[in-house]
Amino acid sequence: MITDDELLDSWPGVRVDHDNAEHYRGMLQQRLLINRCAECGAWHHPPRSVCPRCWSNAVRAEEVSGRGTVAMLTFIHQGSSRAGVDFSNGYPAAAVELIEQAGLRVAGTLVDMTREEMHIGTEVELTWLEVGGRPALGFRPSGASSRP
Amino acid sequence: MRSRNPAKDQVAIAGTGLSPYSRDRQGVTAGGLVLEACIAALRDAGLAAKDVDGICGSTVAAQYVQAALGIPEVTWFANPPPVIGNQLVAAVAAVHSGMCDVALVYHHAYRLPWASRSAGKDALRRRATVGVADARSSWGTGHVDIGPASMWGAVAYAAWAQRYLHDYGYSRECFGRVAINSRTNAAANENAVYREPLTMEAYLRGRMVREPLCVYDMDIPVDGANAFVVTTTERARDLPQPPVLVHVATLGHTDYGSEEQLRDFDHAGQVVVAKRLWAASDVSLADVDVFYPYEGFSNIALAWMENLGYCKRGEGGDFVAQHWLKNEQRILIDGRVPVNTHGGSLSEGGTQGAGHLREAVLQLRGQAGDRQVQDPKVALITPGGFYFNSQGMILRVE
Repeated sequence: MITDDELLDSWPGVRVDHDNAEHYRGMLQQRLLINRCAECGAWHHPPRSVCPRCWSNAVRAEEVSGRGTVAMLTFIHQGSSRAGVDFSNGYPAAAVELIEQAGLRVAGTLVDMTREEMHIGTEVELTWLEVGGRPALGFRPSGASSRP
Repeated sequence: MRSRNPAKDQVAIAGTGLSPYSRDRQGVTAGGLVLEACIAALRDAGLAAKDVDGICGSTVAAQYVQAALGIPEVTWFANPPPVIGNQLVAAVAAVHSGMCDVALVYHHAYRLPWASRSAGKDALRRRATVGVADARSSWGTGHVDIGPASMWGAVAYAAWAQRYLHDYGYSRECFGRVAINSRTNAAANENAVYREPLTMEAYLRGRMVREPLCVYDMDIPVDGANAFVVTTTERARDLPQPPVLVHVATLGHTDYGSEEQLRDFDHAGQVVVAKRLWAASDVSLADVDVFYPYEGFSNIALAWMENLGYCKRGEGGDFVAQHWLKNEQRILIDGRVPVNTHGGSLSEGGTQGAGHLREAVLQLRGQAGDRQVQDPKVALITPGGFYFNSQGMILRVE
């Protein structure tokens, strides 16, 4: 059980609020939680208190598979330095469309693949990284966990 | 003052919705309050997300509301600062000019507001934003005064209240009647956070906060939100609720834009509002059936009565006393016009006048339940105080 105070202390400088607290709490436990409507089943992100499809307020943060496809991709060549980030060859920043729902995307970096393997359409799966001392989403090639 | 008012009666409020007021709600964001109110307002108007093409709120971003409610396309949006007249006036103009047909308008109150933690750790940013003694610093107004004696906001309203007692020879009872009127009316409003009766004795014993204003003279912090659907009167006539026509809506401001620099009561924004309301309106004060003067500080309501023409400068206190129903402990102007029928900011809860507007809409639609006034046709709503946010609207039903 992670208290609100522990949660806030774990995310300094981040606007953690009552709508996104479960998402950030999940990240601390290496669980990717996305809001889902208990009435109609639609997912939405970032987390809000109402389902954008049916207006129900019965939304719950639910764990997703972490599997998806690279939908958007860029490489960042400059930025403020932080542990775990290397800008020298371009740091990958991707939006991954999750298999749970068309258009449902989360942002993260790409790991465990060559630059050539990093492209729109690559099938990926979630792995947890530490960036700047905090949990962060990384995506590696699909099936990498079962590779020798 | 000019009388040109081409939008007169051409735009209507077709729906209203509420996120119920609370003093102890947990686990909700300001955005969540807004969404509740917006959904209620759209359902009230019989409209769906796809029908909305304009969004106008106070501090919760229009883009957030659009995404959260799945509103597919809008052609107009804006986030004017509080209070509610700023959103309503902008929406009326946008609808009348054709920038949009259906505007969703909202304002919330959120207890213990906060900025990001990173902003809170930045000393210079902290000083320049909300949460410091002189929040005017965030407006770039070239202020030079710092708290606790800063004549900012609530402190200045108290000081002007003292000036009112001094200039016109009143005692605190003149403010007390405003507070008691709100409390009496709140008894019939299930959304009000304070509904138990308030006596003058209890008022005079109330904890003094900023002299001469005591705890009963100042609005009640709540979580809550109000939303309104604004569209053309023509469109509104095809929707389920009786259209509430915006006869005139205006803002008012003078060049005395700092609390302690306001020259006198004759140079407040309220004076400008009153001039514009009556110049642009086909109705007169005698036609008003229900009256909603903002009373987030009780003395503001007396000033509204004077500026709108119910009485002369300095006579507000006497006016309320003369139109006071002793047996009922409430104001009834000329035996006919009730004031703040919902309990206002002092008893329903402080939402900076948005609650006053919602109540006017419900009364004009004949849907105010146990507190329904008999068949009102014209409502006068005047949110805002003296300096930055004086505003007024006259609403009517056909």
